[in-house]
Amino acid sequence: MLEASDLMVFYENNLALNNVHIRCDHNQIVGVFGANSAGKSTLMHALSGIVLDMQKKEMMAGGERITVAGSVRYQEKEVMTVSPSRRAKMGIVLCPERRRIFKESTVLENLKIGGYLASPAQARETLAYVFDVFPTLARLKNRIGGFLSGGEQQMLAIGRALMAQPKILLLDEPLLGLSPLMQAMLMRTTREIRDQRKIAIIVTEQYARPVFPIVDYAFILENGSAVLEGTREALMDNPDVRSAYFGV
Amino acid sequence: MKIGTQQRRQERIDRGIKVRTDGLYALMSWRELAYLIAPRLLLIGGLLLLPLVVPGMYWLRVISIVCIYALLALSFDFLAHYVGLVSLGGAFFVGVGGYLTALLNTGMGISPLVAIPVAAIFGGVICTILLLPCLPLRGVYFAIVTLMYPLFLARVIEALNILGGTDGIMGIDGVPYVWLEQYGIIAMLLLILFGLRRLVNTDLGLVMRAVKDNDQAVRASGMNITHYKALAVFIASSVGCLAGACLVHTYMWAGISTFALDFSVLPIAATVIGGGGTLVGPVLGCLILVPISELLRDFGTLRIVFYSLILLGFIVFRSDGLMIYGQRKYHQFERWTDI
Repeated sequence: MLEASDLMVFYENNLALNNVHIRCDHNQIVGVFGANSAGKSTLMHALSGIVLDMQKKEMMAGGERITVAGSVRYQEKEVMTVSPSRRAKMGIVLCPERRRIFKESTVLENLKIGGYLASPAQARETLAYVFDVFPTLARLKNRIGGFLSGGEQQMLAIGRALMAQPKILLLDEPLLGLSPLMQAMLMRTTREIRDQRKIAIIVTEQYARPVFPIVDYAFILENGSAVLEGTREALMDNPDVRSAYFGV
Repeated sequence: MKIGTQQRRQERIDRGIKVRTDGLYALMSWRELAYLIAPRLLLIGGLLLLPLVVPGMYWLRVISIVCIYALLALSFDFLAHYVGLVSLGGAFFVGVGGYLTALLNTGMGISPLVAIPVAAIFGGVICTILLLPCLPLRGVYFAIVTLMYPLFLARVIEALNILGGTDGIMGIDGVPYVWLEQYGIIAMLLLILFGLRRLVNTDLGLVMRAVKDNDQAVRASGMNITHYKALAVFIASSVGCLAGACLVHTYMWAGISTFALDFSVLPIAATVIGGGGTLVGPVLGCLILVPISELLRDFGTLRIVFYSLILLGFIVFRSDGLMIYGQRKYHQFERWTDI
């Protein structure tokens, strides 16, 4: 469904992504694991096209020169040069790191903004679905986004991304700063969303343990390169992976 | 540069002389020494030579005005990019400094050479005290208050008919010697420029930059941000008042027009053109903008149109500013490499 090959991203002379191949099939949850500065967020930016936006901004302001090379294919079409907003319309929706919810809008407003691309009927249906899968949000419907707790904000961010009618959902570090209980709950819900909405999901995370049970396939990034990949079972049996990403 | 994917990329490489961090160099030869000193000498030498090469008294006066605006632009750049306070108060500083030196000179008969520095220091104190209430706040308040004061003071002077009312204060002495006036202000500009560059790299400057980045973290480190902001505002407003005092002695007249918003707006435009956060950039911007605005005088009211077009062009095509662009070209070279 989504396949990136030979993906390279330079920030000035620093190589942030080096020849990364990654793919995600229909109805699959793919995990991307790596330490800080391994290139997880850059990968997400490249897949969602945000990197093009950053490139343009930096060029206008005379800042860092960002260079992108390689290809991203989505539904058999090359989308590497497609702008992030077009990609969102095509169904590649990013749920950004640190949530980036609209802090001064209410929960309902946040979700409605997310549903801008959807038809009214779709938006109504998805809104009901989001409240169904995250009952907490239904209760906090009129609360200002900035007053929510970290976990609630993350639910809201995922809900907002769902409102944009994704065919493939990119979750960038969804578990950042959450309690283990909340992490487990979010991951269960993520799997539920995949099963019920039939969408593909790519999740990045530093610590693999809470995410691993739900992924079908996983990639391990180190210093910008995808050093290992495999099915859940295959990676679980790898002693290096176990020590580095499971703390066993 | 093309947006999107590419086969080759242009890499930027620091020239060999540069050692790891900004502002740290390993000098191995006279050539490298010259490489470092040349731009500074160019600026200093250029400014000092300028009065000798321009034709006629009129352009000498323009150079003085350039320096006055450059001082204001320096004060704006310092506050905006090193302390995080966006000040629209150029007119406020000019007015306070100008009226102070006018009063000192006409009221107490103090020579301009003494009155100017005294007006700068006391003007700085007055401005800081007046601006103190909005310093603990973060956001647009500082900009609004600094914009409000010059309008407010001009109306007060007009309505109460104090300080000469709408006629202004006349009979102010000029600086005794023409060349002293000319070179005095150039020397002050250079001193303040290099002084501020020093200041922002000291520990004090470090704290001020930290206040800009994250004032809560500075508070959490046990420092009183209001204190540091007040100090920065004092420095910047003193520089602004100095500019105002020089202006008044150049024109030998102080009036309500010293509170004109030109003094707030033009320095900001100069900072945009020159490159904010470089301190040299705003001076360069003034060197470009003020003479252009003089040359465009022939066009009458169309002047503003051309002026706006020039500004627009800079913002669209060189939004990083001349100085940042120039510095990068000077310190780095580029070459194409295959990915």
